[in-house]
Amino acid sequence: MTSKIKGSLRIAAVAIFVFVIIEAIHSTPRAQETSRPSRSVWDGVYTEGQAKRGEALYSRECARCHGSDLAGADEVPPLSGPGFLANWEGLTMDDLSERVRVSMPPNKQGKLTRQEIVDILSYVLGFNKFPGGNGELEPKPESLKQIRIEATKPNQK
Amino acid sequence: MSRINCRRVAALLLIVGLVVMPIRVAGQASTKNRAPARSTMKATETSPTKDVVSLPSTKNGEWPHYTGDLAGTRYSPLDQINAENFNKLEVAWRFKTDNLGTRPEYKLEGTPLMVKGMLYATAGTRRSVVALKADTGELVWVHAEFEGQRAVNAPRQLSGRGLSYWTDGKEERILYVTTGYRLIALDAKTGNRVPSFGKDGVVDLKVGVVHGTGQQIDLEKGDAGLHSTPVVVNDVVIVGMAMKEGMTVVTHDNAKGQVRAFDVRTGKLLWAFNTIPRPGEFGNDTWLDNSWAINGNTGVWTQISVDEELGLVYLPVESPTSDFYGGHRPGNNLFGESLVCVDLKTGKRKWHFQIVHHPIWDYDLSSVPILADINVNGKAIKAVALPSKEAFLYVFDRVTGEPVWPIEERPVPKGDVPGEWYSPTQPFPTKPPAYARQAITEDDLIDFTPELRAQAKKNIEGFKNGPMFNPPVLSKIGGPLAALTIGTLNGGTNWPGGGYDPETHTVYVPASNASVAPIGLIEPPAGFSDIRYVSGRAGQPFRVSEGPGYGSAADFPQPTRRAEPAAPSASSAAAAAPAGGAVGSTNVQGLPIVKPPYGTLTAINLDKGEIVWQVPHGDTPDVVRNHPLLRGMNIPKTGQNGPVGLVVTKTLVIMGDPQVTTTPEHPRGAMLRAYDKATGKQVGAVYMPAPQSGSPMTYMLNGKQYIVVAISGGAYSGEYVAFALPTIDERGSSK
Repeated sequence: MTSKIKGSLRIAAVAIFVFVIIEAIHSTPRAQETSRPSRSVWDGVYTEGQAKRGEALYSRECARCHGSDLAGADEVPPLSGPGFLANWEGLTMDDLSERVRVSMPPNKQGKLTRQEIVDILSYVLGFNKFPGGNGELEPKPESLKQIRIEATKPNQK
Repeated sequence: MSRINCRRVAALLLIVGLVVMPIRVAGQASTKNRAPARSTMKATETSPTKDVVSLPSTKNGEWPHYTGDLAGTRYSPLDQINAENFNKLEVAWRFKTDNLGTRPEYKLEGTPLMVKGMLYATAGTRRSVVALKADTGELVWVHAEFEGQRAVNAPRQLSGRGLSYWTDGKEERILYVTTGYRLIALDAKTGNRVPSFGKDGVVDLKVGVVHGTGQQIDLEKGDAGLHSTPVVVNDVVIVGMAMKEGMTVVTHDNAKGQVRAFDVRTGKLLWAFNTIPRPGEFGNDTWLDNSWAINGNTGVWTQISVDEELGLVYLPVESPTSDFYGGHRPGNNLFGESLVCVDLKTGKRKWHFQIVHHPIWDYDLSSVPILADINVNGKAIKAVALPSKEAFLYVFDRVTGEPVWPIEERPVPKGDVPGEWYSPTQPFPTKPPAYARQAITEDDLIDFTPELRAQAKKNIEGFKNGPMFNPPVLSKIGGPLAALTIGTLNGGTNWPGGGYDPETHTVYVPASNASVAPIGLIEPPAGFSDIRYVSGRAGQPFRVSEGPGYGSAADFPQPTRRAEPAAPSASSAAAAAPAGGAVGSTNVQGLPIVKPPYGTLTAINLDKGEIVWQVPHGDTPDVVRNHPLLRGMNIPKTGQNGPVGLVVTKTLVIMGDPQVTTTPEHPRGAMLRAYDKATGKQVGAVYMPAPQSGSPMTYMLNGKQYIVVAISGGAYSGEYVAFALPTIDERGSSK
């Protein structure tokens, strides 16, 4: 490939990206669900290895405000325990992932890739004692929308 | 070569992308498609005497001030919506705020105004101003200010609590404070700036804000802002001031608080009140060793109330720098955490009462002072009642500043933090009684089961516990990790304040009853601050406590494409605390460490100084209802912890849940509740998809009463929702 062609491809890519990012910023995260998700966070929706990757990212990008104990603080919502589960119970991993993508980290919105976000969320799930499994948490919205956040293990209700 | 070109093109495209957006919004901002004829108010049964018709008032079914009126009552005499029909309320309209800014806002705290059929509110990460038709929610105009770095650096970045309205009977103006701390005057008809006000409609509020002994703060980076509303009275607009969170400050020499009044027509400064008195001013001697010169804060970040007739202004002043360490400011530190009454015309102090001496608990003065004309033992008193985080309702004669019931100075514990100065006593009202927790006794600990109680006792072993005014401690790994407090940072009544019924002389006050706050101090990391100690916990990485809405300002540059994902670095993340709770944890098996109620609504009669009723407010949280260890137990409604505000009507007190729940009665969501204001009995509730995040207001238009409330939180971005009764009254057919 000549450098000229490469160059125009890059331009095209950048143009698309600019468009996508403008659209993304103006799009609204959807909290409402149309159909009932098929799985829950109790079904081993991430791997331990993924949570390990997420832990490193968390300590770099999130711990400064949310704390190494994920407990939050004054103006910072907790990412563990009853407060966290109460905030997200009944929603899906897509809702949570979108909230992070749109608004986190403060003043660095857009810095995290979707993959990095689900890695961090894997760590958060593990920290909250949701079991790991064999498949990684995938960043695709259609896949995340299938995973329901439930504070209590379904058979314990 | 092509590489360089590429970069240029990329940069160009990004610039185009970034520039185009503001232009688009600006275009929107200049829209002037205001309806030709404005709906006018129809007189209602509650319409008052004719002499007030010209001025906007809750008596006309309007809501012309953030708190309904200048007295901070949040009261409206409307009664179309009542106990019988509250459950029939329907959503009249919604207004989603996502596009008022470059990103959605998840903490919409505003309360709109309604005057002459038009609803005005601030909203979005841009803190834009919108004018909506009050019957349909239709957007009439929007005004946006593009402030760049000033907004990015702002200490208060949310869309704010709202705005103010002014009229002389002909002209109408909207006044608000931007994220970047500029006072803007808008033509209420068009949303355009009023050129004759200040400089082209703007007064730069950072001009004149100083630190040290009088050094002007940086106009772009200086720490001053505000997210409460200005207060408009006659032709005067009064503005407070807020700074960043005071827990982990970068200097004790922060910007100094002041309250200023401006001419509402010209923007000319009329007076300024220094909340840290200068040499020669009253109270300067309460800053020992000249410490007034090296300390700041002491702002007025919550709502101000005004008695127009008496010509008096009531200022609720916050803590000086810093929230938990005052070693650089020996002395009582007036007017830190004081209620100050100043003259409306001159700004001169009339009286003051220091609620907390030498503040080191972040009690602040969080709530609007409520002006109430009461009758105690046959004596008429013009009173002012101040709800608080510490859950005392402080009541004074608002003319003289004398406490209505004695407030006693009682000894309090002394701490041992190096360099700290301690007040030996603090004021304790003898009446009314405290309406929420002020300290954590063993009896306050969770008691659903003996095992949970035992774990709770174990957990708090790591803390230094004590009565109210338990002073902060240096955090040590071997203990104490912190001083255990409640009713401090986020306890009791916070910024939403209370409400008041002028007919029955009753104050209604919401309270967070489970805001357990361990306060520990650590030395700041090298180079972070000139203050000796900041908030933190030994053994944990230092965390900066950012202000409300930090990092969400619309003006923060949009993200640019990242070259490649940065490789995760080898981490040294601290070991996870067991979820079950442990020494130093404020939850037990995921449950709050204190027993219910977690949140309450209390009615206090001001003639008697007594609590009339108190009820838990909010559904029992999911974590309690669904907890495996509590299965089969019959747990009465616990209420919810969280800052929510209310509106008082002829017969009801209306307030929404601060948290979401999923219950057999309703899907994931929160309820807007109505209480019989005489008994506290819940008489109705309507469903909202997200928690109440801004206090409700009510108004009447074309014979129909509306309730508007701001909701948001979690995944739900900010939205104003209006409720009203169905147009077709079904009473005839169905009953």
